[in-house]
Amino acid sequence: MNTIKNETLQFQLDRSEKIRSTIKQFYIYIVLVLIVLVFSLMKLDQVAMFGRGHFLSPDSIINLLRSAVPIMTLSGAFTLLMISGYIDLSVGSAMSLSAVVYALMILNGFSFLPAFVITLVVGIVMGFTNGYLVMKLRITPVIATLVTLSLFKGIALLIVPDGLSAIKGSADKPMPDWINYYARKEVFLGLPWAFWVAILVIIVLVIVQRKTILGKYAAAIGGNRIAADLSGINAVRIVGLLYILVGFFAALAGIARASYMSLGDPLSGDGMELDCIIAVLLGGTAFSGGEGSVAKTIIGALIIICVTIGLMTVIPAYWQVVAKGTVLIAAVVLNHLLVRDNVKA
Amino acid sequence: MEINQAQKPFVGSKISDESFITLFMVGVLILVFVIASLVVPNFYKPQNIFNLITNNWYVIVLGIGVTFILITGNFDMSVGGNVALTGVLSVYFCQGVNVSQNPLANGLGLPYVVAVGLALICAMGVGAVNAFFIAKLKVPSIIVTLGTMMLARGAAQVITQGAQRNTSLPEAFGVLGSIGIPGTSIRLPLLIMIALIILAYVFEKKTVFARRIYLIGANPEAARLSGINVSKYLTALYILSGLLAGITGILLASEFKAGVSSRAMGYEFDALVIALLGGVSIAGGFGSVLGMFVGAIILSVVTSAATGLLLSPDWQYILKAIVTFIAILSQRFALDKRKS
Repeated sequence: MNTIKNETLQFQLDRSEKIRSTIKQFYIYIVLVLIVLVFSLMKLDQVAMFGRGHFLSPDSIINLLRSAVPIMTLSGAFTLLMISGYIDLSVGSAMSLSAVVYALMILNGFSFLPAFVITLVVGIVMGFTNGYLVMKLRITPVIATLVTLSLFKGIALLIVPDGLSAIKGSADKPMPDWINYYARKEVFLGLPWAFWVAILVIIVLVIVQRKTILGKYAAAIGGNRIAADLSGINAVRIVGLLYILVGFFAALAGIARASYMSLGDPLSGDGMELDCIIAVLLGGTAFSGGEGSVAKTIIGALIIICVTIGLMTVIPAYWQVVAKGTVLIAAVVLNHLLVRDNVKA
Repeated sequence: MEINQAQKPFVGSKISDESFITLFMVGVLILVFVIASLVVPNFYKPQNIFNLITNNWYVIVLGIGVTFILITGNFDMSVGGNVALTGVLSVYFCQGVNVSQNPLANGLGLPYVVAVGLALICAMGVGAVNAFFIAKLKVPSIIVTLGTMMLARGAAQVITQGAQRNTSLPEAFGVLGSIGIPGTSIRLPLLIMIALIILAYVFEKKTVFARRIYLIGANPEAARLSGINVSKYLTALYILSGLLAGITGILLASEFKAGVSSRAMGYEFDALVIALLGGVSIAGGFGSVLGMFVGAIILSVVTSAATGLLLSPDWQYILKAIVTFIAILSQRFALDKRKS
């Protein structure tokens, strides 16, 4: 009698667990579809379906995908870092600083390749700084990267000359036209190089997360740091490498942003860290690390971009902050409900 | 007698680690001040020293709440947004009803006292929302408070339509921020800050509640197992932090006679920095309000010295970062030395 009861109970538990994991697996796609649906049904009285000005018109989709380039470039590496249980709040500032450095070099006569490579090196240095502070000097990740947020932002603001709001061309020293080729010139399907680079980055990082030792080690470190140490994983080196990767891709995103705007704005990356966190949490990565998916983060990133771009057309700009805050809280709660944390703290 | 015997080995370390770090940071403060006096003209003058303390009253008030929350091992990044929201609300509640075509000039027409009371309740409400997510749902505090920061600042922007409200205010509105001791430059906000620091110091040293906060920070699991209702303590602290942010917001709004939605941008970071400068450590229930106060003065000396040297304001970000890193590492070094 008792055993039967236990079995039914077990069966029910299994079933609810199964439902939960099914929801967890597919909810993000449903959320994306729902959001796209809501925005495409809005303002139908003013614009035709798929017509000019409609949310799903070809122009609008291309615009949306172009705006998504920075977060698509960056959030994959960010996911790997969060899977290992660490965080980098300085990515927004790192992106701004890279954009400023890149624009400054182009303005001063560098050609594309040297400017590109040097900016990426700057990104690597920034990532290394974070990794060193967190892994070698053992400063709490949140605090260390909040402080480097301030540091990178300060440097970016300092590089921009007094009286100017950004590195930009002037009458006697114009910005070369070709600065925006990377992020604006159509190369394939109406989309620029920066987009296809971002796609390549995503494919590589999905493979890294699923098929390589780096992905497995990141999950192991995030799942149980002590066990990872004991089984011979060099966490300092692995997580340090992940910080460097995040810095590198922040620089790549910064280049895309500078190229898109044809100037180096020292505040252009502000809030990027929150966008990345929202994308990662929506994608079902556990906040304390141990599990997660780069591919789903990208879906999460698309959700944010859809919401941002979609809302821009329907509500005044001053509602944006509330909207994003709401999405962040909703993402946190959804994540909390669906991802069973192996609670560590 | 026996108790005295047992305590003997500790005589060499009469002062606690927290007091030690506070004293250490006082030493650093003196050093920084001497250097600043040598390079910046007129830096040592009493009026300037007075300004160093008074100009930062709002960060210090916010720092009290942030310090206690950091000691429990959590963050409160919502204080800046909360300051802006409370300031805007205190204006909105007491603006006249239907006085103008401009929607930004019309408010609810409540008496100022009621407006202040309601604004403070809203400020504590933000704290309560933080507490709900952090204490009940066990969501990481850094993310939730960044979210509520955006919600609070966003609400302030919605109420002011992205700008500010500063018209059709009652006479009483500007009193709180500008009233002071006649004949001196001491204003009410400064007095409130001093009173709050003293209260917080007594609270920290003399109450069981405060000592339990340290236990929660040092080991939340042990605290829970020894019968402390951790979520109750966290809730109280977040509401306290919200209240302090509310007081700051109301005083700032009164001082400037305006509710500005971009007010207090980055204050949450400053409050965190001064707590860290004062030796508060997130990793183990460690820190003190007095240390935070010393940290605030250090930051104030460094930033005003930079201004005195005619460095561009952009240097502030870099200076804050460098000073914080040096502080964290030197404090750790000093504690390690002391223990070995």
